[in-house]
Amino acid sequence: MSADNDQQAREQLIDLAAQFYDQFELGEIPHMSVPTRTKNNIEYDEESDVWVYGDRESTRSANSVSGARKLLKATYTIDFLVEQLEQDRSSTLRELYYLSESWDNDEAQFTSQDESNSMVEDLEIVSGVTREDFHMRPEESGAKVMGPLHIREQTKRGDRDIHCQLDVGQGGYQIPNNPDMIEFLDNDADFVLCVETGGMRDRLVENGFDEEYDAIVVHLGGQPARATRRLTKRFHDELGLPVVVFTDGDPWSYRIYGSVAYGSIKSAHLSEYLATPEAKFIGIQPADIVEYDLPTDPLSDSDINALESELEDPRFQTDYWEEQIELQLDIEKKSEQQSLASHGLDFVTDTYLPERLSEMGVL
Amino acid sequence: MTSFQSTLGDEAGIAEELAENQQAISIAEFFEKNKHMLGFDSGARGLVTAVKEAVDNALDAAEESGILPDIYVEIEEAGDYYRLIVEDNGPGITKESLPKVFGKLLYGSRFHAREQSRGQQGIGISAAVLYSQLTSGKPAKITSRTQGSSEAEYFELIVDTDSNEPEISVAETTSWDRPHGTRIELEMEANMRARQQLHDYIKHTAVVNPHARLELREPQEHFKFERATDQLPEETEEIRPHPHGVELGTVMKMLTSTDSQTVSGFLQEEFTRVGKKTADSIIDEFRDRHYGREMRWRPPAEHEDVDLEAAVSEATANKGADATAAFADAIAAGVDETDRIAHHELLELVDSAADEVEAEHGTTFGDTVRENAVAAVWLALIDAREESGDAAGETDDPVESRLVADCYDLADEATSTRKDDEVIRAFADRLAAKFDDELEDSEGEDGNVRHRLTRKRLRAHVDRAADLTEEYDDVSFGDTARENITEAVWDVMATVPDDPPLVRELAGDRDAASDLVDGMRATDIMAPPTRCLSPISEELISAGLEKEFDADFYASATRDAEVHGGDPFIVEAGIAYGGEIEADGSANVMRFANRVPLVYQRGACATTDVVKSIGWRNYGLDQPGGSGLPKGPAVIMIHVASTNVPFTSESKDAVANVPEIEDEIELAIREAARELKSYLNKRRSMQQRRKKQNVLGTILPEMAEKVAEVTGRDEPDIDDAIARIMNNVLVERSVKENGDGQAVSVTVENNSNTNESLEITDIVSDEPTSLPDDATVVEMDGEWFVKWEPEVSSDDAATLEYEVADGAECSLDVKGVETEKLTVKQ
Repeated sequence: MSADNDQQAREQLIDLAAQFYDQFELGEIPHMSVPTRTKNNIEYDEESDVWVYGDRESTRSANSVSGARKLLKATYTIDFLVEQLEQDRSSTLRELYYLSESWDNDEAQFTSQDESNSMVEDLEIVSGVTREDFHMRPEESGAKVMGPLHIREQTKRGDRDIHCQLDVGQGGYQIPNNPDMIEFLDNDADFVLCVETGGMRDRLVENGFDEEYDAIVVHLGGQPARATRRLTKRFHDELGLPVVVFTDGDPWSYRIYGSVAYGSIKSAHLSEYLATPEAKFIGIQPADIVEYDLPTDPLSDSDINALESELEDPRFQTDYWEEQIELQLDIEKKSEQQSLASHGLDFVTDTYLPERLSEMGVL
Repeated sequence: MTSFQSTLGDEAGIAEELAENQQAISIAEFFEKNKHMLGFDSGARGLVTAVKEAVDNALDAAEESGILPDIYVEIEEAGDYYRLIVEDNGPGITKESLPKVFGKLLYGSRFHAREQSRGQQGIGISAAVLYSQLTSGKPAKITSRTQGSSEAEYFELIVDTDSNEPEISVAETTSWDRPHGTRIELEMEANMRARQQLHDYIKHTAVVNPHARLELREPQEHFKFERATDQLPEETEEIRPHPHGVELGTVMKMLTSTDSQTVSGFLQEEFTRVGKKTADSIIDEFRDRHYGREMRWRPPAEHEDVDLEAAVSEATANKGADATAAFADAIAAGVDETDRIAHHELLELVDSAADEVEAEHGTTFGDTVRENAVAAVWLALIDAREESGDAAGETDDPVESRLVADCYDLADEATSTRKDDEVIRAFADRLAAKFDDELEDSEGEDGNVRHRLTRKRLRAHVDRAADLTEEYDDVSFGDTARENITEAVWDVMATVPDDPPLVRELAGDRDAASDLVDGMRATDIMAPPTRCLSPISEELISAGLEKEFDADFYASATRDAEVHGGDPFIVEAGIAYGGEIEADGSANVMRFANRVPLVYQRGACATTDVVKSIGWRNYGLDQPGGSGLPKGPAVIMIHVASTNVPFTSESKDAVANVPEIEDEIELAIREAARELKSYLNKRRSMQQRRKKQNVLGTILPEMAEKVAEVTGRDEPDIDDAIARIMNNVLVERSVKENGDGQAVSVTVENNSNTNESLEITDIVSDEPTSLPDDATVVEMDGEWFVKWEPEVSSDDAATLEYEVADGAECSLDVKGVETEKLTVKQ
């Protein structure tokens, strides 16, 4: 299956090069159109409930010197990726940037990693092949999973069968760069709990929350990596598990929930592949701050601005979010996940989560 | 007051004694003491000035006699002195006038002529002789041979400074190898510190005199400047002064010396651009100023209680009832027909009525009768009759004068609608009263019955009426309103028919002459003719610059003639840019007046001031601080040609700051600078295009190579794509087998955003056939030149097709498109 994937990815890349070739032959100016990757060109797709790119496109054309350079770099990158696929190797985005230094053509070398990252994104979008299928990895690998789940991972060194509670240490199972390499064998899980901070994940594991409630605890680690989001989606789609997201109670954390549920700007072309629109927000809700009398910090100006812009963000235009955000603007306070510890170390696992989960109908 | 003032009764001698010491100073003596005024302030400068004076004279002389100037200048060291020799191929100078030309200051043919020439005062060369004799003590040695004479005249002479007359020490005939020309040899105390200025002078002279051949040999260097054209500058003609810009003093002097009797004749004879019509206009303007205009009043309307017929009848005695009635009727009808009538117009009307009635009735209408009739009607018109008993008795209210209604209408029309009607009425009342007052102003006489006013007096009346209105009606009566009313009234007033004074009367009457000068200035007169000027012309400026500067770009501009102080002038400018011109430092400014380079006092010159005031950054040149001389490889040339160039001093180094001339200098420079700007813009965009082409020229082939590598195909052809990217014009020839021969097609694809006209020549080694009509073919030495000149609009293409035998070779040559924009494939 993976060899097929590789083959397909290779063909897609070669097609792209052939497209440039034909443009030359026809006397056309070589060009490549990609959707504009800015906030203004993100549209909400009602059908799939996720965020996708709008109609606006930017054209990389050899008409200008900088456009020609970009296309030259694109052809070199294509050449590199095709070779990488042929040899069944993989590399990181950062490695690509340094590797370009070794190319014989100065004009083709990348000047910054942002440039090489965005080049890979361009190629992803234009070829319709994901980065993972190009065998390109991000620098940080995916986060960790802990829960009653038995999987099989294809590795370079052969297949490995792993139980995500029994076969792993305190740290949990490390999500590989390409989670599509994982095959689900068996599970006893009732739901998936995505946790923003490492500290809270460790608290849940120490308190045995995953065992007690048959939960798969996924560590997000700030804005979640693609692999984390992809695996979460597979849990939901393939295992039929409800997904809840547990973050801090501030506007930035709501956006983490947003990217799990609806997709992010930079990867909007993959939203259908990465986003889990059915994911629910568990907390910390502004209402919890009041209800559980949590220790708080005052909202800063940038917090207030972020909240106000969220009020206008179509992703948050539901009764639920409007009520919560207005309440937060009213009380002018925010709280962290770990502030629940003010009621004792077990409060979160014994009281808060069970209460919230039953409210939401998950338990 | 000096302390030597004599007092009465004192010994009578002191004043006389002082008077004995007073004596006339010879001009030569004066300049002996004031050498700097003529440009001989130092040895270095004296040498340059002497060269300049001699060369200017030589050029003037040769041009005047239609000879292409060939001038040789030599400077050599002669002991403690320098010897200067200037030789020309001019017409030569006759034996009689030669000593005066070189040995008498202020002797020349140019001073009184309004015509462009290099020399003007007749000082220059004699001043050089004077300078040489003062510093070296040696006479000037002059050889001259006139055309056709077998021998040359040789003189040695000095200027006698006491008498300002030449003092000849040697006069003999000699032989000379030149067929005609003049040679002057001067020895003077000098040095070569001003070598640069000397070189500049000669080089710049060569620039503006492309028809002259110049040679300079000095102790260190030797230059030759060959001719760039065989065309002599057009001959100039002398002109009379232009009425605009002559001063009162000049006019009075002209009035005394003219042969004309009448002003009209004087104007037509003594001034340029004045014919009968213009003279009449000037005289009308003069009348308005000198005599004033007469107010024209409206004839009585029907409702008015003014019976002109009755007034005439009453005033006419003993002429018989019929004749009197006819006379009165004719006058009343005549007045009624006019819109407005002035006193002198009434006079005419009465005269013609009297003549008519005389002819019809045989009754004589003498002067007295006519005068009486005029007086009666006029007084009725201006409401100034002695009130008859009946009228006075009818009502106690003073009847409003009919002038008030007239004044009201004029004032109402001329002022803004915002003015209160009451105020205008009150004002009109007061203005009418001022006209009434005119009757009594000069007691004893008739007073100003005719209502004849100068504009100034009219304005004074309006002012007075307005002041009173302001005072009594407590409103403001602004300057604009006053001026508008004055203008409205002045407009309806009539110019009087009085004859202007005769010339001899005017000559003695300063005020009248001043009115005449004002009249001349107020009249529209055509600009003076330019035959008296000899501009270099745009082509020759460019040619001159091209000859002396190896630049990338040349621009020039010649303005139309303008007038300053009665003298026409023309300003020309030229710019050379880039190439071999020194790029460091400020641009080189070359100044010329009547084709003479100005090398000293650059900072005091109007031309430099103007160059500095222009914002050169707008024209693509560097200008630190946004003002001052621009920087970079540029030469800016300015030529002021005039019958009288205003210089700041007699040494003629700098053009004075005359606003009219400065304006024209600026316009001329800007005209040339605009061309420079578009050249620089184009060059910049071509540079960018070349740069882009260079970069793309490396990137795209590499990209094509890589694409071929990835796809595993042959390298693609990228020329079309490049042509399109560069907005280029692509000319491509393809050849197809076609039976025995081959079919050739040449396609032009215009990817630029402008229309392109191309000249394409395809050189074929065999005879081409089936050519379309728009292509021509010429055979030369076994090669066929297929010429095709298509015009291809933007984003369009055109194709030429023809057939030629197999194996024929072709080669394409394309013209009409910049190489940067052209891609040829064959």
